[in-house]
Amino acid sequence: MKEFDAVVIGGGPGGYAAAIRASQLGLSVALIEREALGGTCLNWGCIPTKSLLHSASLLADIRAADAFGISVEGLSFDLAKMVSQSRSAAAQLSQGVKGLMRKNKVTVFEGHARIVSPGLIAVGDDQISADSIVVATGAVQKGLGSIQIDGKHIWGAREAMTPKRLPKRLLIVGAGAIGVEFACFYRALGSEVTLLEVAEHVLPTEDHEVSALVAEALVSQGMTLRLGQGVQALESQKRGVTAEVGGEQLKFDAAILSVGVEAAIADLGLEELGVEMQSGFITVNDAQMTNVPGIYAIGDVAGAPCLAHKATHEAMIVAESISGGEPHPLQRERIPGCTYGTPQVASIGLREQDAEPEQVKIGRFPLYANGKSVVSGHTEGFVKTIFDRESGALLGAHLVGEGVTELIQGFAVAIGLETTEAELMHTVFPHPTMSEAMQESVLLAFDRPLHL
Amino acid sequence: MPREIYLVKVGMTMTEGMVSEWFIADGQPVSKGDMLYALETEKVNLDVDAEMDGIVKHVVEAGVTLAPGDVVGYIFAADEVIPDDFEGVASTNDTLSTPLPEAMPAPEAPKTSPQPVAASTGAAEQNVASRTEEGRLKASPAARRLAGELGVGIEGVVGTGPDGRIVEADVYAAAKAGSTQPQMTLPPVSAEAVANVSPLARRIAEAKGIDLAQIQGSGPNGKILQADLDQVPTAPTAVKSVAAGPKAGSTVPVRGMRKTIAQRMHQSLQETAQLSMDMAAVMDDAVRLRGQLIKEWEGEAKPTYTDLVIKATAKALVRHPMMNSRFDGAEIALLDEVHMGLAVAVPDGLLVPVIRNAHLLSLKEISIESARLASAARAGTLGLDDFAGGTFTVSALGMYGVNSFTPIINQPQSGIIGINQLYDGVAWESENPVKTTQMNLSLTWDHRVLDGAPAAEFLASVVEFLSEPYRLLL
Repeated sequence: MKEFDAVVIGGGPGGYAAAIRASQLGLSVALIEREALGGTCLNWGCIPTKSLLHSASLLADIRAADAFGISVEGLSFDLAKMVSQSRSAAAQLSQGVKGLMRKNKVTVFEGHARIVSPGLIAVGDDQISADSIVVATGAVQKGLGSIQIDGKHIWGAREAMTPKRLPKRLLIVGAGAIGVEFACFYRALGSEVTLLEVAEHVLPTEDHEVSALVAEALVSQGMTLRLGQGVQALESQKRGVTAEVGGEQLKFDAAILSVGVEAAIADLGLEELGVEMQSGFITVNDAQMTNVPGIYAIGDVAGAPCLAHKATHEAMIVAESISGGEPHPLQRERIPGCTYGTPQVASIGLREQDAEPEQVKIGRFPLYANGKSVVSGHTEGFVKTIFDRESGALLGAHLVGEGVTELIQGFAVAIGLETTEAELMHTVFPHPTMSEAMQESVLLAFDRPLHL
Repeated sequence: MPREIYLVKVGMTMTEGMVSEWFIADGQPVSKGDMLYALETEKVNLDVDAEMDGIVKHVVEAGVTLAPGDVVGYIFAADEVIPDDFEGVASTNDTLSTPLPEAMPAPEAPKTSPQPVAASTGAAEQNVASRTEEGRLKASPAARRLAGELGVGIEGVVGTGPDGRIVEADVYAAAKAGSTQPQMTLPPVSAEAVANVSPLARRIAEAKGIDLAQIQGSGPNGKILQADLDQVPTAPTAVKSVAAGPKAGSTVPVRGMRKTIAQRMHQSLQETAQLSMDMAAVMDDAVRLRGQLIKEWEGEAKPTYTDLVIKATAKALVRHPMMNSRFDGAEIALLDEVHMGLAVAVPDGLLVPVIRNAHLLSLKEISIESARLASAARAGTLGLDDFAGGTFTVSALGMYGVNSFTPIINQPQSGIIGINQLYDGVAWESENPVKTTQMNLSLTWDHRVLDGAPAAEFLASVVEFLSEPYRLLL
């Protein structure tokens, strides 16, 4: 029997961060991972897909290089190399997490963990005891009723980010962040992409105006968008898949299912312990405690939004919580989100469609009026800010365009510090940067734009 | 011989503390005046500077709770050999007779006497020694932070560190020099100007006329956020919880401030013979006077009802010295100065900073000082001197709609007054009922020190001053 103050199950961006922080706070900590340190995000999600999208974006830039006085001949690409580059980026970072575990004296167990009773965990033949158990097992991709990922021609994210060959005709079911990112990647490489979404908008959780601009961009890149439509049937054939959409029979070389995730809780022992769940996710309080004393949950397994940075933040909270601190609870409406399609989308807080028009002031500054965007040739997009009319509180920010994912944090800090429009107007934004569009958007909301 | 690094004692009441962080790693060189370790106690965190140049040897890891005066490490001179198995030096002194190092030592003979802590630019110009050639002020980070906490203008501090660098001791010295002149230590700013408030919360508070001094912040370091403004009761019955506390079903460890409060409150109830009484004051004139003073002193001070009670109590204590006393079993020491403790709720407990010489301060000065202490308490930036030497205490729960309570004596004091809410009362003019604004005062006193009749006389004096509040301005 090995004894620890805290055991973390799952080595993703929630789990490994919780282990580090708990160790910093003086606890003896073990972490259990059955696959690779870094979890889905690092090995099969955020990181490798960003590598693939970077390849796609480089390709697009090189194709557009002529306008900037650079002529390129004999341009070609190597899909296998793109994939291997993405795998080595993931492997490098996973190795880094291993080093962090060593540095922070976190004992790592490899294998599947099962909570036997509060305070007791079995990993293979090992028994581990701990005062506090943090469940950070993440989430797995969902199927769609009888339609399941088969790894053959019906792909999940893993298959989609390690293709052996480029599908000529590709169906993507679900136009959330994952669906849109794969659509942009494959389209950039030349696949004929059909994107299905049951909601009326692509990126249905985003501001409608952002979704509309993205939809327009995807169509102009040559994709087929079918909004408000689901897939009735999808079957792998010998070569490719057949899909039934709106009564039509369609044929594709491959299909990607990206219809959401569900908590990864299989065979953890949670049900036997009576851990409370809601819609398939573990219910936790502000301190990340479950209803069972000594058992905590963070990240995707503890509910939406299923984002790596939400997991990492909850990791800080849970570490403080188990070491007797009083952490500040996470404010969900202040979690930013990023999608790395073409164009990129970044957002935080209130959407325009959820606001009462008479209670807000909205600024919407187009990137074509921003100097830096003009010189880089990426003028598609805008920065939109939503303020409370009465108090001047920044309620939401919605950005779309190349490079905006690196801008959103400015607004996240502003909202976190509860700045009003006055502080944002008094802040000096450097020239020439895209960030000037952020300030212009604020000025515009209060009817005093400079560059429009 | 290596020189000991002690866990320094801060304040009279410190019983334990710890090195929360070593800034200089084991075996690494340090220069005199560098930050050496971070001290954490129940009440105060501060950075301790090295007293000499040399090589640092830890004997205690960060996070171990110790008594003040314990040795946490040594500084070896650069040419000394550090034994491999070094674990400490056998003390040549009887440990009991070893004088404890004080956290607020007299600075090492500054070449000139410290300038008073006035915000005068003249002082800054004289202090050329503490500036680099480029004119940058030379001060250790710990000294800068401490200056912020104690409200000392660092430009006015004379540095005694290497090359005239300003170190923590210099800031303490400057703060002490300043405190001999009370009018100098009172920052000439209103409560709103010093409070830790988000811009949005400040704007909403201004728009809705919410008194930020009454709000407890839930953000980092007690920052007042938009959500905290909901605490203000719109009616006495609509009191919301002070802060989002721990959830039911969870356990909260008893340590730090909670542990101190638990020990001291329980001890007070066990060791004294305390009992309480209420008396109502007619506050109509006080309400009017406060309204006038808020206008008149706008931008300088904003008197609260608590400030009025502090002033009235200070005057009453001068009239009834038995209440301003200390009982030690054999004697009752009547104290000739009134230092008024002010109980301030903070997110994880309660702090009682002290308004020094309250009997000598005007109402306006009391108002400014109490606002400073309350916001510093919530921001966690109270200095050591802010806690010391209270002789009587007031505790206000009126903003929560409380009409009467039995506050607990803050030992070794002999009494405490609880301040309750204003309410609409009735006075009779012959046969006719007349609406008046009233407030109950809840006095708890130590029966070992004085009996019910003199205690009631004291409380009646406080009520008298509040009922005829112009006397508070005399």
